[in-house]
Amino acid sequence: MRVGSPRARRQWPARLRGGIGAAAVTLLVVPAALAQDAADWLQRAATAARQLNYVGTIVYQHAGRIETSRLYHVADSYGESEKLSNLDGPAREIVRNGEQVRCYYPDAKVIRVEPRSMHNAFPSLLPQQLATLATYYQFRKAEIARIAGLETQAYVFEPKDGARYGHKLWADIGTGLLLKARLLNERNEPIEQFAFSDIQIGVRLDREATKPPFATVPPDWQVRESAAADIAPKETGWVVRDMPPGFNKVVEGFRTLRGKPAQVAHIVYSDGLVAISVFVEPTPATPQPVGLSQQGGINVYSRQLDDYLVTVLGEAPGATVRQIAYSVGRRQ
Amino acid sequence: MGNFKTGFGAESSGPTAPTSEEISLLIDGELEPVRADAVVTSLCRAEGLATWVCYHVIGDAVRGVASRGLDSKRFVELFAAEPTVLAPRRSPAPHAIALALAATVAAVSVVGWVALTTMPTPVAAIASARQAVGVRAADARPAVDNEYVLVHQEYSPTNAIQGIGPYLRAVAASEPDARR
Repeated sequence: MRVGSPRARRQWPARLRGGIGAAAVTLLVVPAALAQDAADWLQRAATAARQLNYVGTIVYQHAGRIETSRLYHVADSYGESEKLSNLDGPAREIVRNGEQVRCYYPDAKVIRVEPRSMHNAFPSLLPQQLATLATYYQFRKAEIARIAGLETQAYVFEPKDGARYGHKLWADIGTGLLLKARLLNERNEPIEQFAFSDIQIGVRLDREATKPPFATVPPDWQVRESAAADIAPKETGWVVRDMPPGFNKVVEGFRTLRGKPAQVAHIVYSDGLVAISVFVEPTPATPQPVGLSQQGGINVYSRQLDDYLVTVLGEAPGATVRQIAYSVGRRQ
Repeated sequence: MGNFKTGFGAESSGPTAPTSEEISLLIDGELEPVRADAVVTSLCRAEGLATWVCYHVIGDAVRGVASRGLDSKRFVELFAAEPTVLAPRRSPAPHAIALALAATVAAVSVVGWVALTTMPTPVAAIASARQAVGVRAADARPAVDNEYVLVHQEYSPTNAIQGIGPYLRAVAASEPDARR
């Protein structure tokens, strides 16, 4: 894998005060081979995450908080299954079998069933997304670091404009599995991080390891099912007029969501590395808060638009989701 | 390719002219630093400053404080002396101007942006901002809609390489939601 152009050594755009000219310059040349490197590498990480057996402890940091969880991932002839149990705070357990995710909340005695469709994500990086990735991020190989006892190679996706965050990812050299992922803001400060503090890869694990806490649901527990996972692709009648450059529409349609009586319009955009979702629903009966909020590295911006509530969210800066929220309108 | 935009909303008036929204983003600490420099620079010009002062006066009114007759020269001095306004997320102790303006922005986000970006007469703006404060919806950061986050995650490419990890976000935040 090659090490990037000399441009890779330049400072982050945010540090170039008055960086408009600088950002324009960095866009002039995009080595195609480098883009391919980035894509190959992402693909390898995605494949490793799906196809390997591994068990480890994940440390999740965001907004000054630290949460530790135990993860078991089993890939066998039946497919994938995994279990994530948090080790601090109120007990939570997430069990995924194929496309279905069940979240257990023992204190509330609630099970939430979340369908999860995987087919929209990697490794189906389209050529157009690949080009976008290379145009809006500088991909470079960074240092070799030891994480959870394993040698990793760090990679950086450095944004070339202010519309997106930076990503630093550490992959196990032997297997390609991602052992650490960090989201960086425009000042190159970490805002969210996932990291294994210990991990065993390629170990023998059977499905017992990813079994839910009980086989049959106790009578005093509630099961909250969620509607179909997929969007029925369709024009929603809503458009985003001022999308930051590089975000292309991935899917558009309506979906049914738990707790929402009406169908919700959902449009997804992606720049190849992150996605931004636009949701439009009729104004709910109970007033909803508007403005900006965060959940980990995800920024969420809600606003009222006539009789609708517009919510935009994604792993992107607050100004980006806000700009999008304010440019949502009716298709003419 | 060279015609690449780093800032937003600078469609016609060139890359350095800030929109009212950008000025408010700056006040709110949500403007990207790359753009913030340009906006701060342009605040030294009359139009940008008028917007800033207008928001400030509204903020005072919202809190029932008499306007302090902030003129442009005094403002520029105050601003120059207080760089933390540019990075309020790092320093939670902004000074009076930032507080006043944060109050305004909170009110504005309830009223709806359009009301202010069209620069109504100060009286009308103050009245609507006062009314909005009665709602106090922006008092705290709003709770994130978990349903939205969960379905969004299916489409996030980075999530595919992180496996189930990103579900931690939802787990970490879903306590009140689980009881709903």
